[in-house]
Amino acid sequence: MRYLVEVGDLKLGREGDELVTYALGSCLGLVVHDPVAKVGGLLHAMLPISSINPEKAKSNPFMFVDTGVPELFLRLYEMGGQKGRMLVKAAGCANPMGKDQMFKIGERNYVILKKLLWKNGVLLKAEDIGGSLSRTLHFSVTSGEIIISSNGQKRAL
Amino acid sequence: MMGAIADDIIKRIESFPAMSSAAAKVLSLLEDPDFNPAQVENALRQDPSLTANILRLSNSAYFGLSSKVGSIKQALVLLGWRRLSQLVLASCVTAMMNREVPGYDIPPGDLWRHSIAVSVAAEGLVDELKLKAGDEIFTAALLHDLGKLVLGAFVKEELVKIEEAAATGLAFEEAEMLVLGTDHAEIGARILERWSLPQSIVRAVRWHSDPDKSTETDVMVDTVHVANVLCSMMGIGIAREGLRHKPSPSATKRLGVSVPALERVASRALQWANDLAQLS
Repeated sequence: MRYLVEVGDLKLGREGDELVTYALGSCLGLVVHDPVAKVGGLLHAMLPISSINPEKAKSNPFMFVDTGVPELFLRLYEMGGQKGRMLVKAAGCANPMGKDQMFKIGERNYVILKKLLWKNGVLLKAEDIGGSLSRTLHFSVTSGEIIISSNGQKRAL
Repeated sequence: MMGAIADDIIKRIESFPAMSSAAAKVLSLLEDPDFNPAQVENALRQDPSLTANILRLSNSAYFGLSSKVGSIKQALVLLGWRRLSQLVLASCVTAMMNREVPGYDIPPGDLWRHSIAVSVAAEGLVDELKLKAGDEIFTAALLHDLGKLVLGAFVKEELVKIEEAAATGLAFEEAEMLVLGTDHAEIGARILERWSLPQSIVRAVRWHSDPDKSTETDVMVDTVHVANVLCSMMGIGIAREGLRHKPSPSATKRLGVSVPALERVASRALQWANDLAQLS
C-alpha cells in the first residue's frame, strides 16, 4: 500500500508499503526504519515545541517535533521494531532566505530533533536538511530506500 | 521597471477573465449600506454554481456557524455582509485558482489551498497580535498570488534563466523581475485594478513579496507578507519557488510578531485552511 503523509501527520508501514510526503518546507520529515522487523514510519512535523499550543498537541501530537518523534518510536515498538536496529533519517527543515531568525522554524525543528535523539542515545544515519527548496520524500518500507525529489532532481538519502 | 514589462505579458493581463457579472453585481449591491437582501439573492440566481460555492464556503467550520446555511439570505444574516462579500469573491476565483499553474509547477488545487491558507493565517495574525487591519485582508490574502496565473506561462518559458538568477542568491520573485521585467505580485495587482477592487487590496497584493517598497506602511501589506512566508514554510502550495522568499525584518517588527505568536498562528491555521480549501 502507498500511504500519503500530510502536514502534521504520521503513517506507519510494513513490508510492501510505501510512505510518501510532499512539499516539505520548514517541516521535518523523519523516517525511522527497522530493516529486520521490516516496519517503518514517516513523520511530517510542522513546528518544534508543543507548549505553544498544548490543546493542539493533544489532538494532533504529530504537528510538533517534541511530541511527534517519541510517538513515532513508540508506535514502531508496538509493531515489533527494536531500538537497537532502527535506522533514523531526517529531511526538510528548510528556511526562507535572509537572516531574520523569526522565520527559522526549520532550524528550530532540527535543533529539537537533535536534542531529542541525543537524550535518547539515537544517532541520525543520514540527513538532507536546510536550504530554501521544497522536498518530496518517498520511503519504501521493504527496502528502506528513501528518495528525495527537489526541484526536478532526485537523490537517495 | 514597469515600462520594461513585455507587451505579451500586458496583453495576457488584458485578456484575463473579468469578474463574473453576477459577482460584480452582488459586490456593488453589498457596498450600499441600505442594500436589500432580496436583490442580492436575485443577482446570484443568475449564477447557480457561484451560489452553491458561496454556501459551501459559508458552512465551513472556519466560520463557526452552529446551524447549516441553506440560502444566501441566511448566509447574509448569520455571517454579515462583509463576510458574504469576501465569500462571493472567493467563490468567483475558486475555479481558476484550482487549476495547475505551469512554470511554478503548482499541481491542481495547490494554489487554491495556499491562497486560502494565507487568508486564514493573515486573519490569525490579526487576531493573535491584536492588529488593526481592514476586513478586506481576507480577500487581499486570498488574491495575493493571482498574478501567477498569467505569469506562469512566461516563467515556464524562461525557467532556466530564472533558476540561474535565483541561484545567485535572489528570491524567486526577484529572479522573475530580473528576467521578465516584472513579477507575479505586480501582475496580480494590475489584474485587480482592472477588476476595480479597493486600493488597499491592490496595494497588499502588489507589495506582498516586498512590503518595504510600499509607499505607505500598511498593516495589511505587512500581514499578508508574513502570512505568505509562513504558509510557504508550512509547505502549502510551494512547489518550484520553495522557500526562496526574503521575509522583511521591518515588517515583522512593525507588526510586533514574536516566535511563539508566529508558531501559534501556524498551528491553528493548518486545520482551518485544510477544512476551508477542501470544500470546493
